[in-house]
Amino acid sequence: MNNLRIRFVRGEEVKYISHLDLMKVFERAARRSNIPVAYSQGFNPHPNIVFGLPLSVGVTSEAEYADIELSERMEAEDFILKLNMSLPRGLYITEVAYRTTKSNIMAIISRADYSLVVAGTSKEGINSISLKINELMEKPEIIIKKESKSGARHVDIRPMIHRLEISTECKNVFLLDYIDSLLEGFTGGTKYTRQEINCLNTRLSAGSAANLKPELVVLALNQLSDVEIRLLKIHRTGLYVERDGRIYAPLEHNVL
Amino acid sequence: MSIRISDEILQSVEKPSRYTGNEWNSVQKNLDGIDIRFAFCFPDVYEVGMSHLGMKILYHLLNERKDVYCERVFAPWVDMEERMRRHDIPLFSLETKTPLKEFDIVGFTLQYEMSYTNIINMLDLGKVPIRAEDRSLSDPFVCAGGPCAYNPEPLSVIIDFFMLGEGEDIILEVMDAYGKWKKSGSSRESFLESIASIDGVYVPRCYDIQYNNNGIIKSIRPINAKYPERIRKRIVKVLDSAYFPDRIIVPFTDIVHDRIMLELFRGCTHGCRFCQAGFIYRPVRERTPGKLLELAGKLQQSTGYEEISLTSLSTSDFTGLKELTDGLIKEMEPRKVNLSLPSLRVDNFSLELMEKAQKVRKSGLTFAPEAGTQRLRDVINKGVTEEDLIASVSTAFSGGWNNVKLYFMLGLPSESMEDVEGIAILGCRVVDEYMKLPKEKRRKGLNVTISTSSFVPKPFTPFQWEAQDSIEVLKEKQVFLRSKIKSKHITYNWHDPELSFLESVFARGDRRVGEVLIRAWEKGCRFDSWGEHFKFDRWLQAFEECGVDPHFYANRKREFDEVLPWDHIDTGVSKKFLIKENEKAFRGETTQNCRMNCSGCGAAAFGGGVCVE
Repeated sequence: MNNLRIRFVRGEEVKYISHLDLMKVFERAARRSNIPVAYSQGFNPHPNIVFGLPLSVGVTSEAEYADIELSERMEAEDFILKLNMSLPRGLYITEVAYRTTKSNIMAIISRADYSLVVAGTSKEGINSISLKINELMEKPEIIIKKESKSGARHVDIRPMIHRLEISTECKNVFLLDYIDSLLEGFTGGTKYTRQEINCLNTRLSAGSAANLKPELVVLALNQLSDVEIRLLKIHRTGLYVERDGRIYAPLEHNVL
Repeated sequence: MSIRISDEILQSVEKPSRYTGNEWNSVQKNLDGIDIRFAFCFPDVYEVGMSHLGMKILYHLLNERKDVYCERVFAPWVDMEERMRRHDIPLFSLETKTPLKEFDIVGFTLQYEMSYTNIINMLDLGKVPIRAEDRSLSDPFVCAGGPCAYNPEPLSVIIDFFMLGEGEDIILEVMDAYGKWKKSGSSRESFLESIASIDGVYVPRCYDIQYNNNGIIKSIRPINAKYPERIRKRIVKVLDSAYFPDRIIVPFTDIVHDRIMLELFRGCTHGCRFCQAGFIYRPVRERTPGKLLELAGKLQQSTGYEEISLTSLSTSDFTGLKELTDGLIKEMEPRKVNLSLPSLRVDNFSLELMEKAQKVRKSGLTFAPEAGTQRLRDVINKGVTEEDLIASVSTAFSGGWNNVKLYFMLGLPSESMEDVEGIAILGCRVVDEYMKLPKEKRRKGLNVTISTSSFVPKPFTPFQWEAQDSIEVLKEKQVFLRSKIKSKHITYNWHDPELSFLESVFARGDRRVGEVLIRAWEKGCRFDSWGEHFKFDRWLQAFEECGVDPHFYANRKREFDEVLPWDHIDTGVSKKFLIKENEKAFRGETTQNCRMNCSGCGAAAFGGGVCVE
């Protein structure tokens, strides 16, 4: 089978595209680049492309994944080159490999890493937030109210938070320009000082079995008294697969 | 100055990708070599504006030039407008996020009258003075074109100059003139004076309007003999050699027409007397199937679109239709590209074609008899007989279609209640035709939809002198028709006549209604064609406060010798011909279509298309 797994970046320029529209972007880019994508059979054929984990509108990512089936095999390098020439600015493929395993990317994702740009307004600054994080992580359970279409329900999110730490320095290259703009002030936005800006790095459960949105982690932190953290930006830094208790990136040999 | 809207704002509005740009095939240029920055404005939301073919053509045409950078600007939806006003964010272009005020030329396309308040709103949001007379050297020039520009007068207080007719050539001539003027460093007036002599350019301030005591126009005259008495529209004589982009912007989000639009021809040979498009786009000019296939191939490759739609006023009239569709199906099927075929006359050929080309469910077929009786169809010169319609639906029903839409107009000239009832009777005959088929031959679940709109008399049609039915009469007719439709298979939809009434005022308005537009906007009117934002009571207040009687424009029958507000505009079709057509209408005489018999409308003067074939 000619099943490709791709890793791609979704940058600032394209972060407001919905998941459904993103699928269309790839379909059209494939047509433009004459990449031989395989289509489903039937009355209304659609391209065999599966995305790892939908990204919310407004979120950027340096590690998105998709599985694409080709109707004929092509060199991985050639594929990257051709598709990248047909993708709009802000979207580009960074890695490709053929896979032989049966389960597609959507079925196997179980963890997601995020870098969250936050503004902490706690008087004590980062140390105070850091303490709150420790406090939060030591709790046996964290119950929050989750609103959904079917009504509100209480969920324990503690088991879904695998890592949470704060740093004053955001060294991620995908965030530098954004943070500079926050300091200069976006049009119609709040202006921040360097001291106010911090980064939360977190690893959360993701995928069909259990999925936690990073917004809820910030909500949980804020529910602990006297800390007030404003979530300014969500950036995904990785998606992972769990196999036999170990964590792998989707393009590692063991899971391809 | 470039604007970077904060995420706080973008996250809080509907469909933020309306405001972010960066779509495939959108044009990015280095500003260093640019002399002229042009903002192409569509006075409606992104999804509507991006579906407009004319904008696609002119956007890429202008950007072919090294000295021009054309960018797009759309009307922000009400949620975004609220935030822009709250944070004092000026309206900006999608490409470089530059405020409207910083452009050299701001151009609006006028597709429907009820978008006029959005023009005012966009100028205001862009910090460009609303009135032409208030603009100074540091402000952009504001121009307009498109079908509604054929009666430019209602917008003449706002727009600096209009371009009449097809834009491909004239817009480049205006760019040349602007480039020269910019280097010369002379006054705003001198630029407008310099372009007033370009064929097809209309500069309202170069013309003086005098009125009689009864409010009717006495005269329209150029203020100086160097300006033309009449301004003639521009056309492209040979469509095959006209510019057509081989790449178009592919939006991220769903737009109204999210597909390649292949323009088969301009104009229409039928001459339906209510239809403005049928007169202002004369003469009919076709592209050749060979050229169209070439364009389709290039556009498909450059966009990756999964659907191509054939665009024209009447697809079935295209002389090379079979050659074109055979070629398209052959080329596009292996690429998994669908063909969509709007405005087809329903017959065996077209049904077969639809089945071959369209991978869609056999859901809706649309027919537009426009009037309920043969008498009235003759009056409007709609060359469709009841037999035609019945034969068509019968073919469609036996071909497996079960969903039929019938479009009509209420308030056509000379319409009686008998004609209105005729609509219901025709609907019943369509239902009967379905019932005539043996059960096993027809698809279950018949659904006939009858829709009526209200007739709006338009300039440059044989009905330009006619009175529109009053809102009350139109409502009466709707109620009457509703009472006459008894079949449970028929659904009846109707349009609110209030909107059609205003359309009628602004379609045939003169300079004096311009102030009403501004007043209505001040009272909060915008997005008037979006039902939820239409505020009829505020419009009526605006008329009253400006001392303008809307009925004078909408509900008054004009004499043939009256000076009409658009008499200085020349579409090529003569007034003499329109009068003849009007008289024939009331005698119930029809006129043959251009291909069968030239009726001497005057468009032959352009020396192109069907007139010289």
